[in-house]
Amino acid sequence: MKVNPFRLRGGLAPLLIATVLLALFPLIGVPQNWLLYLFLFFIYLALANMWNWLAGYCGLISLCQPAFIGIGGYTLALMTWVGLPIWQGLIAGAIIAALFAVIISIPVFRLSGIYFAVGTLIVPELLRLFFLNWRPVGGLLYGKGAGYAVKGATTIPATDIYWLTLIICIGSVLMMRFILRSNLGLGLAAIRDNASSAASSGINVFKLKFYSFVGSAAITGLAGAAFYIQQGFIEPTSAFNVRWTMVLMLATVIGGVRLEEGPAVGAIIVVFLHFLLARYGGVSLLIQGVILVFIMLIAPQGIMGSVRRALSHRTPHLRRQPARTRG
Amino acid sequence: MGILLGGLYSLVALGLSLVFGVMKLINVAHGDLVLMSTYLAFSMMTSFGLDPILSLVIGMPVMFVIGFAIQRYLLNRAFKISMEAPLIIAFGISIILQNFYQIVWTPLSRGLTPSYAMLSFSIGGLNVPLVYGLDFAVSLIVMLALREFMKRTYVGQAINAASQDRGAAQLMGINANRVYAFAFAIAMVLAAIAGVFLGLTFPFTPQSGVSFLIIAFGVVVLGGLGSIAGTFIGGLVMGLAQTLGGYFIGTGAQMFVAYLIVFIVLGVRPQGIFGR
Repeated sequence: MKVNPFRLRGGLAPLLIATVLLALFPLIGVPQNWLLYLFLFFIYLALANMWNWLAGYCGLISLCQPAFIGIGGYTLALMTWVGLPIWQGLIAGAIIAALFAVIISIPVFRLSGIYFAVGTLIVPELLRLFFLNWRPVGGLLYGKGAGYAVKGATTIPATDIYWLTLIICIGSVLMMRFILRSNLGLGLAAIRDNASSAASSGINVFKLKFYSFVGSAAITGLAGAAFYIQQGFIEPTSAFNVRWTMVLMLATVIGGVRLEEGPAVGAIIVVFLHFLLARYGGVSLLIQGVILVFIMLIAPQGIMGSVRRALSHRTPHLRRQPARTRG
Repeated sequence: MGILLGGLYSLVALGLSLVFGVMKLINVAHGDLVLMSTYLAFSMMTSFGLDPILSLVIGMPVMFVIGFAIQRYLLNRAFKISMEAPLIIAFGISIILQNFYQIVWTPLSRGLTPSYAMLSFSIGGLNVPLVYGLDFAVSLIVMLALREFMKRTYVGQAINAASQDRGAAQLMGINANRVYAFAFAIAMVLAAIAGVFLGLTFPFTPQSGVSFLIIAFGVVVLGGLGSIAGTFIGGLVMGLAQTLGGYFIGTGAQMFVAYLIVFIVLGVRPQGIFGR
């Protein structure tokens, strides 16, 4: 993969400072619940980044991200039951999620556009039913279906989990940077603007989308596994829940689809909403749904998209016309 | 049994198929909108003692208005924004409805149980529940009625025209946005009928919408998109396959088998078994 190293550097300093600051938080005695908010922010940001990669840059509206999250989490939980250490479970979670993406790409990659979305919507439901009836190891039943405790998760200090998710999150941010400035990103941009002319100028459309799908699945699985270390318990109905899709879609859409910084801004707002509305239970998701619909109608380019547009009026050379397509 | 159930499935899928055929949109909220009619009938049954099938007299116009409004105020605008905007909005609607049901009707499993829900009749030694027979009969009637409607009325013809070529239809003086709104509203009336009969046949929870959607999608995929007859055949195949799967593997696996069929068909023949 060819990368333009000069373009990678821009804006790296603020990211570096933010990372160091965030990494120091647990050491300087920031309150526990702040760390919990930040933990959620890291997970959501990693997930939203991966969705933005697919939906924003590849045009693949994937509704099967919960499948990768659940598979990552289940792999981790099952590995701990077999007696393997947690870090191996984490890596295995990412690998199994990627393998699973390879398998389901056979049917779903035959679909395009809106068919792809509905095809992927089935996957988490399929897995949920499967895991409700499947119990590979251990005899103890916690509640309904195949719920598993992540063994040994309670022995890991909260700060370690915090740092782990920070690494995953920053990793996903750097990964997006790298991808967008490499020829993979250029190829994806070309496909997004016009798939057939991209294909005719020598870009292997299928290959680029396939790599993106599998790569995104791996990181999503990793983030999912990390989330379930903190939870300490996994069960099918919450693991393969559309709620996940809602969260990462909301984060990306609020911040701005197809923008590198979009998911970060969106994830902050989603975490904020999450805790603001936590007391109201079901109403919380209802309100999030309403917000999603309204943002999509009023400001489809999201907050950062609007900010960019406002800025580009002042500095015309930065103005970028968003690609508009209509189906 | 499977074939009778298939009639119900094709009824659920009909609205989805219509919306797809006209607007090229797979309405991800379809299952939840079907469920809305089920819950409306449930409320009317529990609070006024109204028969679920009779309650359609109120349910159908209500759903018509809701459908018209969704298309007019949300989706028509979304079509102008980008290709994925309507899909994301439909997803948002689906989440809103699911949680709305959960708040209003609690997450308990419910059922529409009028006095005749338990009755059954026998054909050639087979004991068939009455509602299954009703499902099949109603879906046949609705299907024929829709066919005639699309062929003979002005609105039906306009919908057909707009779905074939939006630009040309507009040149002929058809207001495409309005026609879309009508098409969506009609799809919601179909959803209303489907919802009531689903409620009579199966127990339901606020989360049932997703499984309704997947069944409907499976039927549409099996039957080829956009054709009424294909949808009907797809429904029969789906019902039969699911019942047989449940018979051989166990009733717990029924839904699993249904989903798997959809997935395999998508992988092997995405244009549908009867599609061109």
